[in-house]
Amino acid sequence: MKRDLVSIDDLATADLERYLALAARVEAMPERDKVHLLVGRLLMVLFFEPSTRTRLSFESAMKKLGGSCAGFAEAAATSVAKGETLVDTIRTVAQYGDAIVMRHPKEGAARLAAESCALPVVNAGDGANQHPTQTLLDLYTIRKLLGRLENLSIALVGDLRYSRTVHSLVNALRRFAGVRFVLVSPPSLRLDPHTTRAGPGETATFEETTDLRAAVRQCELLYMTRIQKERFPDLIEYERVKDAYVLDAAVLREARPGLRVMHPLPRVNEISRDVDALPAAAWFEQVRNGLFVRQAILLDVLGVTP
Amino acid sequence: MSDKHLLIPKIEDGIVIDHIPAGLGTAVLGILQDHAELRGTTTAVGLGLPSARLGRKDMIKLWSRDIPDHVVQHISLVAPGATVKRVRGFAVDKRYVVALPRELVDMVRCFNPNCITNVEPGAPTRFRCVDETARLFRCAYCEKVFPLAQLERIRAAPASEVPWSAE
Repeated sequence: MKRDLVSIDDLATADLERYLALAARVEAMPERDKVHLLVGRLLMVLFFEPSTRTRLSFESAMKKLGGSCAGFAEAAATSVAKGETLVDTIRTVAQYGDAIVMRHPKEGAARLAAESCALPVVNAGDGANQHPTQTLLDLYTIRKLLGRLENLSIALVGDLRYSRTVHSLVNALRRFAGVRFVLVSPPSLRLDPHTTRAGPGETATFEETTDLRAAVRQCELLYMTRIQKERFPDLIEYERVKDAYVLDAAVLREARPGLRVMHPLPRVNEISRDVDALPAAAWFEQVRNGLFVRQAILLDVLGVTP
Repeated sequence: MSDKHLLIPKIEDGIVIDHIPAGLGTAVLGILQDHAELRGTTTAVGLGLPSARLGRKDMIKLWSRDIPDHVVQHISLVAPGATVKRVRGFAVDKRYVVALPRELVDMVRCFNPNCITNVEPGAPTRFRCVDETARLFRCAYCEKVFPLAQLERIRAAPASEVPWSAE
């Protein structure tokens, strides 16, 4: 059976652990041992929505494993612009490559693609829904930073309504024992209340606040997000909330010792540049970890054991 | 013989949909009429009939040998708890209560305008029940959760576009 990575919800906790262990193994391997692993394999990189980081990360991951890539970085230059359906595009592309990585502005697009072809499909973001590879790299980074995924106190800050990164991360972290989520957002960008309801056997707790400084004092990890202009149906509302939370060195002076700050990037002005040099800053480390995690994902979906 | 039996004739061979909560009979009738296989079937409808269990109830009788499972599933969306009875020779030979399905496949449309199933021509829809009491369903594609009442039923194609299926 082919292996897709569409949603964090499809993965059992053992699957998450398997990916994290594989990423650690990939990170520890010398580059010379990696460059032959995916020789002759072609990754179809289909970005129906613009992205820099995720696309480059996947392409770098594939090439550093000896594989190659083909695809597009925006839908405008493809037959999609001529009105081709997603399913037809996927079935066409499936004739060429060995695996598909796709980003699409519509929620559920990766699931539909995965159901429409025999190639493994990796979801690199579907609208405001899921971004499972970002979540895996976030989990990998958190464990590297703090040494554990259990009993965390994590503040999620900013756009909790439209951020697919936040949705996926919450769904993954809540499975680990004793995770305390502090949700910091303007009222109009709160997390969906269905998400904060405890599932069977879960020990995660959720607290909502609008006060960033209070969260900084209480938590050991701060996960900042960008207020995403492109997801707002109403730009007046965007203007009202776009600068709701700005993390700067002054705010961090009140932080609990050892606080680390993550951000899925790109950032706009929610993290001031004066924070970059502080030991709390972990976002570029996150980016680096993304490479190892995506290499692990590619090896896994293509059935290659390093 | 009670008044209700005078209002709705006895059925020798057919289907009785009983214990429909009062007021929902016309919605159930709409569903029956949407399905090509049941179009043209003789149908009797009783609205606001006295009921020991419900106080008032609606009831529909169909002069049809059977009722397809997918039609019963659609009925379950508007009237879970209704009873379907199959009648043979004026006696009930099969009876079951209509339950809300755990999964809805191609029965309702996603409420999320940004869900791929609302954009891609011919895309299937699939929802799983995540809370039976609150009647909450989760879209398998966009993964959003909605109350069933928000999910628009997918209606059958107009009669002219479906092959006629005689009883």
